[in-house]
Amino acid sequence: MRTLTAIFAAALLTLAALPAMAQEEARIHLLHGIPDTNVDVEVGGANVFENFAFGETQDLSALAGETLVGLKVKLAGTDTVAIDAGDTALPASGNYTIIAHLDADGTPTLGVFANDTSAIAAGEGRIVVRHAAAAPAVDIKANGAVAFANVPNGAEGQLDLAPGILTAEVVPAGADAPVVIGPADLTVAEGASLIVYAVGSLDAGSLTVLTESIVGLGTAPAAVNTGDSPVGADMRLVVAAGLGAALMAAFAGRRRTAIDRRA
Amino acid sequence: MHRLVALLVTGFILLPACALGSSDQAAGSAPTSTTAQPVPEAATSTTRPPAPRTELSPLAARIVPLGSAIYDPATANPERPPRPTVLSIPAIGVSEVSIVDVGVLDNGEMEIPGRTEVGWYRYGPRPGEPGSAVLAAHIAFDGRAGVFRRLAAIEPGATVTVGFEDGSTGIYRVFETAQYPKDQLPNERVFSREGDPVLTLITCGGDFNRSLRSYADNVVAYAIPLSSFD
Repeated sequence: MRTLTAIFAAALLTLAALPAMAQEEARIHLLHGIPDTNVDVEVGGANVFENFAFGETQDLSALAGETLVGLKVKLAGTDTVAIDAGDTALPASGNYTIIAHLDADGTPTLGVFANDTSAIAAGEGRIVVRHAAAAPAVDIKANGAVAFANVPNGAEGQLDLAPGILTAEVVPAGADAPVVIGPADLTVAEGASLIVYAVGSLDAGSLTVLTESIVGLGTAPAAVNTGDSPVGADMRLVVAAGLGAALMAAFAGRRRTAIDRRA
Repeated sequence: MHRLVALLVTGFILLPACALGSSDQAAGSAPTSTTAQPVPEAATSTTRPPAPRTELSPLAARIVPLGSAIYDPATANPERPPRPTVLSIPAIGVSEVSIVDVGVLDNGEMEIPGRTEVGWYRYGPRPGEPGSAVLAAHIAFDGRAGVFRRLAAIEPGATVTVGFEDGSTGIYRVFETAQYPKDQLPNERVFSREGDPVLTLITCGGDFNRSLRSYADNVVAYAIPLSSFD
């Protein structure tokens, strides 16, 4: 009886936990997009992680729906505040990337991007480009042609396209040169979203690329149709052909007989 | 989850305490005692985690560090196994049939190659990659038999041989067969991108509708590498 009660209690607990679990489906990543700058991140007066390096990612999904009180990004091991974001409410659901990056003038800032997780058609992949670098507006070229024109810092562009390797280059808006990032080969996978960040500083010569990928957005083919005729058809044709041959042989025989008779 | 964290924390507190306890005992007893050896200092110090520079926020335990997002041509463009090029299934009379890459038609349906070929769904996994590598062929086309005319007759245990573009060969064994009404084809399984590598053979079957010139069902055989049976 005690065991039964325990099981029942456990079942109740599981049920109670369900809504919380549903909320955990939010995906919130924090990306470090400022080269050569290790930082500590502080919430509510205490560090939540330290010595966070350029290019690293922290998964904040478990904190979805909560407010990060007094969010500060500080130079690692110091109290020097690089970004004072204040109280920052995290969305309760959805798919977001928060990136610490430089604005167009080179000042550190936090950018929040909502990631498009809508279904991608069968046979296509998605590419998303985000300008998060201390640089003027840029053109982003794919395989030599401008795919996204005049993208300023903090802006993004996206495109669903045939999967494959795409050679990307970043050039000043309206110009062919100089190529400030790239050429970089990027594999666009079917059913996945490849998110590409231009980060760093043009003046400091530290422009480079960060990438993240969201998989599982693909669509299966609508149907698999592999037959336009009944499977027995060929057999019937064989039978018909056989019958036809027999009849022809019979006719030929008769005709031959007739000819013979005439002869 | 909370309990696990609590256990871990308890463990951290208990370990140094035990070490200290045995040291004290050793100090208080005769040097020749063999029952209470002093714990070597090195061992004691390894039970202590490296102290954070400052005390971390309780939120820290709920944040998960992930890998680097820095662009790396090698990881951005991973090497893949070779493409499949030729198929043999002796049990149903399929012998050295060419496999061609196929995609999707404008209407969203899977592209199916000519009557005498097999199509590999190029947007899905290659054989050996996680998920389901899909090979489709006609049951019949234009009044004549297709390569998978007898797929419905295949039984678990049948051997499937796939030749690859690099000249290598993979041997698979059918472990499950199924027939589904077309609108109930389990797409999430047939076109899966995750889990153990499976080779999925698919064609049509069931009743033929003469006015629609189409079959009611899909016939599917699932195979896995022979080595998986060891």
